[in-house]
Amino acid sequence: MGPDERECREWEAEFEAAARRPLKTRLRYAFIHTYKPILDDAAYRSFDTMAQYRAWCAAELPAWLGYGPAV
Amino acid sequence: MAPRFEYAQAEEVRDSFARHGVRYLFIGKSGAILLGYPDTTQDADLFLEKTEANGAAVVDALRQLGFDLTDPQSDDIRRGKDFVQLRNGPFDVDLVFAPDGIETFDAAWRRRVDVEGFPVCHPDDIIRSKEAANRAKDREALPRLRAFRDYWLRKGSRPSR
Repeated sequence: MGPDERECREWEAEFEAAARRPLKTRLRYAFIHTYKPILDDAAYRSFDTMAQYRAWCAAELPAWLGYGPAV
Repeated sequence: MAPRFEYAQAEEVRDSFARHGVRYLFIGKSGAILLGYPDTTQDADLFLEKTEANGAAVVDALRQLGFDLTDPQSDDIRRGKDFVQLRNGPFDVDLVFAPDGIETFDAAWRRRVDVEGFPVCHPDDIIRSKEAANRAKDREALPRLRAFRDYWLRKGSRPSR
């Protein structure tokens, strides 16, 4: 189901407000510091293929993080 | 986990990557945010051209930025492993050499958008990659991201030439 009219109006207002802010301000608001269990517990990870990375996310990360496949 | 990504660090990435001749694009939510999409994220996602020369340039640039890369990690990046997650530097960054849903780096580069010197994937490519990844969090984000793409196009934003 797509967004309703009220949601679309709210989003449009948010886009307009963001467009009025300089890039520096937008970045200050956008990048946040939130701990993500398991994902943030290693200093380095690499995967030969995106498929391997997706499979690792699905198998290892808590579902609530949203990195698993949409069902 | 590193301190959050700041504008000054984005400038350092831009300037260091330019000095080293790195071919890259901001992609994912961080790319959308550079385009003006109001949302939050934790890390920067960089789409890199998958060539040995570019991989070597990325390693040099990242080390200059303060990333503590071991030799095996540097080799992974030089080889262009599809996905590399770095949490060992001054900010968190994901390096993506083969994002889902995008055929080639050159194709994405032709459609790129320049935002104050930051090369950013076109919103259509950001959307395509999220559609192809089809994660739960992407599925949730896509309606608002598509609405932003439509808004962005209506406002007359155009790819770089």
